[in-house]
Amino acid sequence: MIVVTGASKGLGRAICDRLLTKDFEVFGLARNVTGTPFPSMSCDVSSYEAVKAVVQKLKKDGVKITGLINAAGIASMNLAVTTPPAVSQNIVQTNLLGTIFCCQLIAPLMLRHKAGAIINFSTIAVALGLKGESIYAASKAGVEGFTRAFAREMADFNVTVNCVAPGPIDTNLLKGVSPLQVGRIVAQQIIPRQFTPDAVSDLVELLLDSRSSSLSGQVLHVGGA
Amino acid sequence: MTDTTMLQSQVYDAISALLEDTSRKVGDDTPLLGDGSLLDSMKLVELCLSLEDLASGLGFEFDWTSDVAMSKSRSMFRTAGALAGEFISQMDAKK
Repeated sequence: MIVVTGASKGLGRAICDRLLTKDFEVFGLARNVTGTPFPSMSCDVSSYEAVKAVVQKLKKDGVKITGLINAAGIASMNLAVTTPPAVSQNIVQTNLLGTIFCCQLIAPLMLRHKAGAIINFSTIAVALGLKGESIYAASKAGVEGFTRAFAREMADFNVTVNCVAPGPIDTNLLKGVSPLQVGRIVAQQIIPRQFTPDAVSDLVELLLDSRSSSLSGQVLHVGGA
Repeated sequence: MTDTTMLQSQVYDAISALLEDTSRKVGDDTPLLGDGSLLDSMKLVELCLSLEDLASGLGFEFDWTSDVAMSKSRSMFRTAGALAGEFISQMDAKK
């Protein structure tokens, strides 16, 4: 079974939908899972106790976890100097600590059978240092650093840990970013075109496949950066 | 054998089961971390998983990410005895 955070909408939901078409068993986590057409549980990943409750349920159900996809994330496009402290805290708490909490609590379920793949999410904003995204980029840079070091910790257990860093993909996360701004970011990618959630799902599929078992601690940029 | 002694013995057995050198005896002062420790990081995680299973069989959840795990002077992983003590303490607290 693959655990996917941020499963109710955006990239997380697109990934769940793709995995289901490929006959993966998916367990979705999101703050609101009402109407989610696959097994899921309400969970705010920024809460250690909430993630712990998920793990207790998974243990109780005795399911074998083979993958974790940390797609839950929030963004706020603002200059750092105009961002309220509560917003900064919320971004770091959800994007960085949420990823860390899920990794440290759910990974042990994979360590038991010495196999698995963990996929975290960063952003092109880290590689490009995008103006107006400094706090968001900082939270995701933390995810990249965590991914690289955590990959080493997991390597003994045959669990890979990688990071997918998309450019601007057309999801709710982009609301508030104008088409002109999106165009400017896309123009800085190595492949200067806007990719869809399908491209991200393709990479996720690749990283879940045993044929990518030689890849760990990597950051894969959708569109190139 | 008292319950405490029996549990301590089970924790020591879990440590012994992970040792490559089976002639090493595990006692109260056997270091688990740092210089002279018996376990590398991989074995330490395996030990935690093993103790999680033992705790589950005893009807409680062994928390190996507690604050006690982080303290250098009080770390539950500093010695086998400290680990057994923390294990028993967590069991008593969750009864």
